[in-house]
Amino acid sequence: MNPVLGIAGYVLREAMSRKFILAFVVGITLVLSVVALSLRLDVVDGALAASRLFGEEIRSSIRSVDVALRPVYTAAAFIVFYGGILFGIVACSDFAPSLMSPGRIEHLLALPIQRWHLLAGTFLGVMTLALGGTLYGTTGLVLIFGVKAGYWTAGPLIAGLMACVGFAAVYAVMLTTATLVRSAALSAAAGILVLVGGVIAGFRTQISSAFEDGLSRTAFEAVTLALPRLSSLAQAAGDIAASTPLEVHSLGTLLAGVMVFGFGALAVGFWRFEGKDY
Amino acid sequence: MRGLRKTYHRAFRKTGNDALKGMDLSVPEGSAFGLIGPNGAGKTTFIKSILGIVQPTAGTVQVLGGSPEDPRIRARIGYLPERLHLPGSWTATAFLSTVTRLKGLKSDAQGNSRLLERVGLADAAGRKIGGYSKGMRQRLGLAAALVGTPSLLILDEPTDGIDPMGRLEVRRILLEEVQKGTTLFLNSHLLAETERVCDRVAILADGRVVREGRLEDLARGGARWMVRFAPGVDAAALGAAGFTRGSADGVYHVEAEDPAALNAAVDRARAAGALLVELRRDGADLESVLLGTMAPAGAVGVAA
Repeated sequence: MNPVLGIAGYVLREAMSRKFILAFVVGITLVLSVVALSLRLDVVDGALAASRLFGEEIRSSIRSVDVALRPVYTAAAFIVFYGGILFGIVACSDFAPSLMSPGRIEHLLALPIQRWHLLAGTFLGVMTLALGGTLYGTTGLVLIFGVKAGYWTAGPLIAGLMACVGFAAVYAVMLTTATLVRSAALSAAAGILVLVGGVIAGFRTQISSAFEDGLSRTAFEAVTLALPRLSSLAQAAGDIAASTPLEVHSLGTLLAGVMVFGFGALAVGFWRFEGKDY
Repeated sequence: MRGLRKTYHRAFRKTGNDALKGMDLSVPEGSAFGLIGPNGAGKTTFIKSILGIVQPTAGTVQVLGGSPEDPRIRARIGYLPERLHLPGSWTATAFLSTVTRLKGLKSDAQGNSRLLERVGLADAAGRKIGGYSKGMRQRLGLAAALVGTPSLLILDEPTDGIDPMGRLEVRRILLEEVQKGTTLFLNSHLLAETERVCDRVAILADGRVVREGRLEDLARGGARWMVRFAPGVDAAALGAAGFTRGSADGVYHVEAEDPAALNAAVDRARAAGALLVELRRDGADLESVLLGTMAPAGAVGVAA
């Protein structure tokens, strides 16, 4: 078996035994079930004529289904993006520190695997978890609205995948932090710092005008230039989920920037881990 | 290994802590090798260097004819760390299965069951590791080290937390492995255990090997033997046969360079009417050897 897959399996097995991750899966299932059972959509000739939630009619004008569902999918995309990343930060913060805990890391490093296998496997395991959770939630949503309204779109799924790309960049920093300090709290703190920095970086042009022209503005622009533009990615995810035109100029460049940041952070972690004594 | 040095550097400090100060050591294949020494002697750093967990500052390490960095070499090593941290929510079976896969071996549920049975965990195989006692965890760690029939077993305090009966079992397993030709590298603070299992010993102090060799060579006091005879022995006749009186009643000492000389001396004693009760090499135990080695350096501490 490929050692990277072996370690990823190790991480996933560990994750499956965590109660709060199981609770999260149960929570998503409950939310989807409640939406599926309580929401009723009356669609006539591709237009949403009426909608009822828990039997109560939701007042709205008659609109085509795709237009009517836009706010729902946009909101879902933002919840998946920010909520998912936040949950991921909290839920996955101790995977790497736990693998690197005294008595476990020695055992793992003595096995016939390369050091980078360990980090790559941990990253892969966590990303598999994130991807699984995201696809489970978004696919459920698409299925519910698809069946009820007859409107099928892959937008929320793509938005979910974009949220995973954002989380990958955040988790890369968390993993690298764990190679420096074996602390779940610091790993989570680093993740939250990147998330907040990433939100700010997405609005760097607007925010920079608040700084005086000169050193402070240049410093702000320099710092935020290196950060992944997560809020822009979230906005793009929302647009794609709702099938509306993208506000960002180039989604490819945005995604590439986020991925370069993630790979860069991972490269630092790999380099640090290779030379570290345990 | 040759000239092995390890200095731990701390951030913002120019000087570091020298854990190993130029160690030279060779462990013969197939031997049971014990590592003893006071706290802070560098034993754990040394073991981690063998496995590539710690990267030496200087010197060379060769294990099983290759570098410890090479996964193919590490695949032939079974290791039990001093404080093995096991995933509490897993079962022993799942843990061994994962270790098997990570060692690059095919899944072998039956082989793993046999291993669990061998270390006395067959009844607890399906239980979560979190509910295991310390001794059970150590046994599971030993089973994990034995996965894939390694050529070299490196065990750091293998009987830590195990009850006396369990220690006997572990010792039996280790001796079986040695008989099969596995090289055993043992670090234990229980000197009696090292003495019973190992045939070679190295004493570490202050990051160096201060003494190393076969246990009987380290322990013995030359060609001197202790002989105990049944009460009623003729002391004068034994004196004439080359025996000198010992401290206890019936205990005598005799010098014999080889087995032939020893048997000749015993024959003379028996011819004088003495009845042999006990015969052993007149040497020191491992504790005495350790204390004797450490005392001149003024570094006597708690062993291993």
